[in-house]
Amino acid sequence: MEAVIEVRGLVKDFGSTRALDGLDLSVEPGQVHGFLGPNGSGKSTTIRVLLGLIKASGGEARLFGEDPWRRAVELHRRLAYVPGDVNLWPNLTGGETIDMLGSLRGGLDPKRREELVERFELDLTKKASTYSKGNRQKVALVAALATDAELFIFDEPTSGLDPLKEAVFQECVKEITGEGHTILLSSHILGQVEHLADTLTIIRSGKTVESGSIEELRKMTHESADPDRPASLEELFLSVYEPK
Amino acid sequence: MSRFTGTGEALRFALKRDRLLLPLCVVGLIGWVGLYVASYSGLYGTQADLNSLYKSVAGNPALVAMVGPTDGLRTLGGATAWETLPVVSVISAIFAMFVVIRHTRAEEEDGRSELLLAAGSGRLATLTAAMIVTAGSLTLAAIGWLVVFLATGYEAGSSVLLVLSILGFGYVFVGTTAICCQVTAKARTARGLVGIVIGIAWFLRALGDTGPEALTWLSPLGWAQSTKAYWDDTWWPLILPVAATATTVGFALWLLSRRDIGSGLIQPRPGPDRAHPSLLHPLGFSLRVQRGSIIGWTYLLFVYGFAIGAVGDNITGILESSDALTAAFAGTSSNIVDSYFATIFTVLALMATGFTIGGVLRPHSEETHDRAALLLAGPLGKVRWAWGHVLIAYAASALMMALLGLGLALGLGVVTGDFGETGRLVASGFAQAPAMWLTASLAVLLFGISSRASVAAWGLLVAFVVIWSVASFGDLPSWIVDLSPYSHVPAVPAVPLEAGPLVTMTAIAAAVTTIGLALWRRRDLL
Ligand SMILES: Nc1ncnc2c1ncn2[C@@H]1O[C@H](COP(=O)(O)OP(=O)(O)O)[C@@H](O)[C@H]1O
Ligand SMILES: [Mg+2]
Repeated sequence: MEAVIEVRGLVKDFGSTRALDGLDLSVEPGQVHGFLGPNGSGKSTTIRVLLGLIKASGGEARLFGEDPWRRAVELHRRLAYVPGDVNLWPNLTGGETIDMLGSLRGGLDPKRREELVERFELDLTKKASTYSKGNRQKVALVAALATDAELFIFDEPTSGLDPLKEAVFQECVKEITGEGHTILLSSHILGQVEHLADTLTIIRSGKTVESGSIEELRKMTHESADPDRPASLEELFLSVYEPK
Repeated sequence: MSRFTGTGEALRFALKRDRLLLPLCVVGLIGWVGLYVASYSGLYGTQADLNSLYKSVAGNPALVAMVGPTDGLRTLGGATAWETLPVVSVISAIFAMFVVIRHTRAEEEDGRSELLLAAGSGRLATLTAAMIVTAGSLTLAAIGWLVVFLATGYEAGSSVLLVLSILGFGYVFVGTTAICCQVTAKARTARGLVGIVIGIAWFLRALGDTGPEALTWLSPLGWAQSTKAYWDDTWWPLILPVAATATTVGFALWLLSRRDIGSGLIQPRPGPDRAHPSLLHPLGFSLRVQRGSIIGWTYLLFVYGFAIGAVGDNITGILESSDALTAAFAGTSSNIVDSYFATIFTVLALMATGFTIGGVLRPHSEETHDRAALLLAGPLGKVRWAWGHVLIAYAASALMMALLGLGLALGLGVVTGDFGETGRLVASGFAQAPAMWLTASLAVLLFGISSRASVAAWGLLVAFVVIWSVASFGDLPSWIVDLSPYSHVPAVPAVPLEAGPLVTMTAIAAAVTTIGLALWRRRDLL
């Protein structure tokens, strides 16, 4: 089957800073794919290229086999996105925002919307200007999770949520994976990704360090005879945080 | 820990952040006054020139209402003060408004103030630093003006008085802006509030100078003009801005020490838990985003038009009693009220272009506030989305200028009982729109080039204001005058409405907008 996300040798320069330096990422249909890396390693930049919001400087990025920069509108019908830092329109209430964002994708399932609002304990009548970071994130999460997208892209979606709501988020992701959706989950926390993901890409400084299924990566690290190789997934993950 | 702890750091931070912007603005303010002064000393070099200026202008109630009392026009200094003081004062106030809000409410709205407070900075530090930076910049500009006046040979004492009068007005608006920043949680609304206060100050003075004098004393602009620099130097009114500045600054600090961070005194009320159907269409949503400023500006222009229209008839009465004035204006227009209205239309078109630029740059503000990605990650084309905002801004601009004309006609009609001018005045208002579109289309072009370039659009508007203000009183090479779109709008209703330049400007605006949005299609989202 065709990969949902296929990124090869992706390069992105912002002026003289190289944010992505030959990054590879591949996500198959139905997978929950963890996208791990320290702050500033290029996760958000990769996602913004995949969303067609910024143009790649080099390499290749394909979403459902197509170019996200040229075919943004068509591709966006098939996906839902939650950024890490959600900023909303201060004058709109949470409820208005959810409906407006949902309407872009042809409307939300009202029952699903209601259920999610209850689970995340979100007060829909408050103006966005009075929401905390966590509540703004919940608004974006509800708007995304109440759609029937083929692909969900979450960019550090729980950085403002308390542990209880984070658990709710994890439940929601588990539920939709059963239904055959594909999920790209970027995070800088190994625990969260380990819990949800089938496959994993670890990046550092805009380059892919390791990629594979969680099982494979575990086995590979444990069985490695090379004393310089990390001996566990944790060590592998921690090793990308160390200065080169 | 004192509530002022960290003011020094905040000050350094603000200066570092604006190390380019502030010097540029200060130099601009000084250069602008320099331009004025240079053009006057050429234009009114001899006493005969001044006498003829005095004869043509003195007591003209339209000009008294627009600019101020004309008694001092017999001297070069008096003429300079008459023409520069109101406009330089208002621009200084607008400068104060932008700088104070930029460093306080805007920062707080974007959630950056909390970081500073958490880092041990005192509650009042940021506001105090912002006010010091702003007042300091104004003071530097004032010193520059003084140097310009002295270097040109103006009388020293009077020059100091004039400069202090303008500076006092600017200071009052440092404090006023600080108060407005406490009242509302949104930078945009705070700017709107300050704009209204500036408008009221101008209007009270205009009414006071043409009617009950007491009203002049309610306006900080009236205080500034009552120093009568160069013809009847009066120093004591300087006390008024000093007292008002102290009061407003103190009140703002008191308000800040009592309110919650991140919120204003006016708390947002809860709203509906689901969206009105009109929000469920991208264009409906864009309209909602712009709704507040559309309503605010339209209302303001209409009420303003009504008030000016009502005074308009009064002006005819005074004019008809003076043969000299009727003769002076006979060459330019059959009806002196019409030329007065023509000037009003131009001034307000320049002002309302502030709305138009703000409207077409909504996509830019959505981009910098990191909200655009949330929309554009949906199946909404970035060009279609931006066109929506631009068209809303263009349509609303035309509508509000037409309503300004309607307001004028109704104000005039209520006093005279004759509503026959309505169609002509509405059309005159509408005729201002192409110049506003053209200016705003340049903003779209800049936005298409890059996000950072967008703000230069405001500089463009300031340049057009300067061209208009210098050209209407002084002497500018015609190629410079022609650079401004507003110079190409027929001076309706004083002259017949001529469609040619309007059609041309509309066509250019459409082309430039299209190019701008094509560039936007090709560039990265911030
Ligand atoms: N618009 C931009 N302009 C300049 N540099 C940027 C921009 N966006 C991201 N960067 C830089 O690119 C690198 C990767 O950032 P990002 O993708 O946000 O990392 P992550 O999401 O993994 O924390 C960082 O060094 C960041 O500073
Ligand atoms: Mg990120």
